[in-house]
Amino acid sequence: MSRLPGRVAALRSRGRRDLAAAARSALRVPVLVTLVVLVVALVFPRFQGWNTTVMGLATEALTYGLVTMSLNLLMGYGGQVSVGQGGFLAVGAYTAAIVATHFGGLPFIVVLLLAGLVTAAVGLLLGLPAGRLRGHYLAVATLGFGLAVPEIALNGGSLTGGYTGLIMPPQNLGPVTLNNPVPVYYLALAVLVVSAAAIRGVLTSPTGRRFMAVRDSQDTAPAMGINVGRTKVVLFTLSAFFCGLAGYVFALNNSIVEYSSFDFSLSLFFFAAVIVGGLGSMWGSLIGAALLVVIQQEAVSLGGFSEAILGVAVVIALLLVPGGLAALPRRTRAAIAGPRILRRPAGQTGTGPGGLPGQPPAPSSPAGASREG
Amino acid sequence: MTEFLQLVVSALGFGGIYALAALGLNIIFKTSNVVNFAFGAMATAVALFVWTAHTGLGLPTGAAWVLAILGGGALGALTEGGFMRRVEGTPPLVSIVMTIGLLLLVEGLAGVIWGYGPKSVPTVISGPSIAVGPVSVDRNDLFIAGLAVAVTLALYLFYQRTRLGLAVRAVAEDPEVASLMGISRRWVLGLSWAVGVALCGAAAILVAPAVSLTPTMMDDIAVFAFAGAVLGGLGSLWGALVGGFAVGILSDLIAGYVSANLQLAVVFALIVVVLYLRPQGLFGQAAQVRQ
Repeated sequence: MSRLPGRVAALRSRGRRDLAAAARSALRVPVLVTLVVLVVALVFPRFQGWNTTVMGLATEALTYGLVTMSLNLLMGYGGQVSVGQGGFLAVGAYTAAIVATHFGGLPFIVVLLLAGLVTAAVGLLLGLPAGRLRGHYLAVATLGFGLAVPEIALNGGSLTGGYTGLIMPPQNLGPVTLNNPVPVYYLALAVLVVSAAAIRGVLTSPTGRRFMAVRDSQDTAPAMGINVGRTKVVLFTLSAFFCGLAGYVFALNNSIVEYSSFDFSLSLFFFAAVIVGGLGSMWGSLIGAALLVVIQQEAVSLGGFSEAILGVAVVIALLLVPGGLAALPRRTRAAIAGPRILRRPAGQTGTGPGGLPGQPPAPSSPAGASREG
Repeated sequence: MTEFLQLVVSALGFGGIYALAALGLNIIFKTSNVVNFAFGAMATAVALFVWTAHTGLGLPTGAAWVLAILGGGALGALTEGGFMRRVEGTPPLVSIVMTIGLLLLVEGLAGVIWGYGPKSVPTVISGPSIAVGPVSVDRNDLFIAGLAVAVTLALYLFYQRTRLGLAVRAVAEDPEVASLMGISRRWVLGLSWAVGVALCGAAAILVAPAVSLTPTMMDDIAVFAFAGAVLGGLGSLWGALVGGFAVGILSDLIAGYVSANLQLAVVFALIVVVLYLRPQGLFGQAAQVRQ
């Protein structure tokens, strides 16, 4: 009997190791791919001749990529819905512009972190009530948030500049002034890479596994000693923090922060980008965000088609390609390997240890029905 | 006091519109447990049907309204049969994603078909305002409010007094037992979606003359309807009516006394407070809505 606690502890630590190893291997994107993408991202401005329009768009893709990642953290790994992520982006961008206007001498890193922290505080405030809600109720609440933030900014008087908005003063990064699309692009890239690494770090930590446990079942998570409410608040706060960082880059890239930039459709677009890219896949988020920038860029010539295309892509991703674009290589491999793999009972594909990222809560599988009431 | 009363009375029109839209939302939620996030776009499509039938085809307004409402019903049934059926019994996240995909799809297609230029459709009732003591009541507002009350009453009688209504309630209560009783769940769901979208469409037809009719017309208005539905309790008939009018009056008072640009923010705060303190709303049953 006296050895029992020791045995339990041993079992527990082994379980922990297994879980940690599973989470690590699931998150391990081939290092080579990461390096290649990074090198391409670093040298590509050189090869397209420092074209400022292209640089601006590339920065926008990086910004949206970070927003989509933050939303994916919330939805894909935490299982919580936000239809108002544009609201967090707006808080971050306005914070950056307000701080940079009133305290011109602050180093850029302080302004960047303040944008993240203030947005995180708003995320905490929203998470406190939202952490108690599930499913549709949460979606309605976040939808209201996404619509309310730009309107509050509109009524902010001289602080937010009302209709005209705020000019984002150029920031200094040591000797470099960030008033040109090229340094802003590199700053955006750095913010994205550091944030992505941080999000990865969170996901492999016990906190990240708590997120996935809450996602997989809000009913059994408490049985494992997880405080669901607190976990959700942490999740909202973290998601808002990273979205706030993106807000800083957004303000810098657009050089003006106005309420009309954050209309409701922007939040819907982020939502669509997460789904199309793949719930629970960081690479998918980047791809989804890049597609979003392309579609928005063509919006003038496409008209309503740009929105309709996104809608169709969401429905297709949901019904035909669970896991989105990020799951395509795996699904293609499976299709080539033979139909046997595809005919696996649907219930088995959804859950890996700790909820494998890249294998989202398999939307159309019957097993999914038991999750999250 | 007169100003206050006038503001409350002026809210009859928009309150009725929110109530009708919230009714449409709740009818769908009651049977399928899905919040139709696409309802704004679908409702706007119904208002655009009116424009096409009236201005485009030259039909009389009455016929245009009837055709458009029927079109809304068809749109609802199509949504259920073509899309929602495929994600039945999945976690809420999946149906939320589906309805938001449909929102983008319908709104985008509306932009493709009708373009983004503002259009106008006729007001249902026009004529001079009626003076009631110190306040004046707009005839159209009065009609809308009356319509919302009448529709709620009719739906209540339908649910309580008809065999089909009983079948709908049975499906809402327990789909499996209902199907054992020989009730076609598919039929009931299709009917709920058809009636729900048609009612939201009616709300859009009524609101279109007051704002400019574009594919994104309902984006903001939808939030007020959501707030009404949440305040009254998702799935509740009388809740939708009371919630819709309460939200209409509240936002009118905010516009009158504070700022017209703060309505959305206050309504968002209302949604959060209601969901925090009483997630089942004023009239809803205490369902499992929290963590």
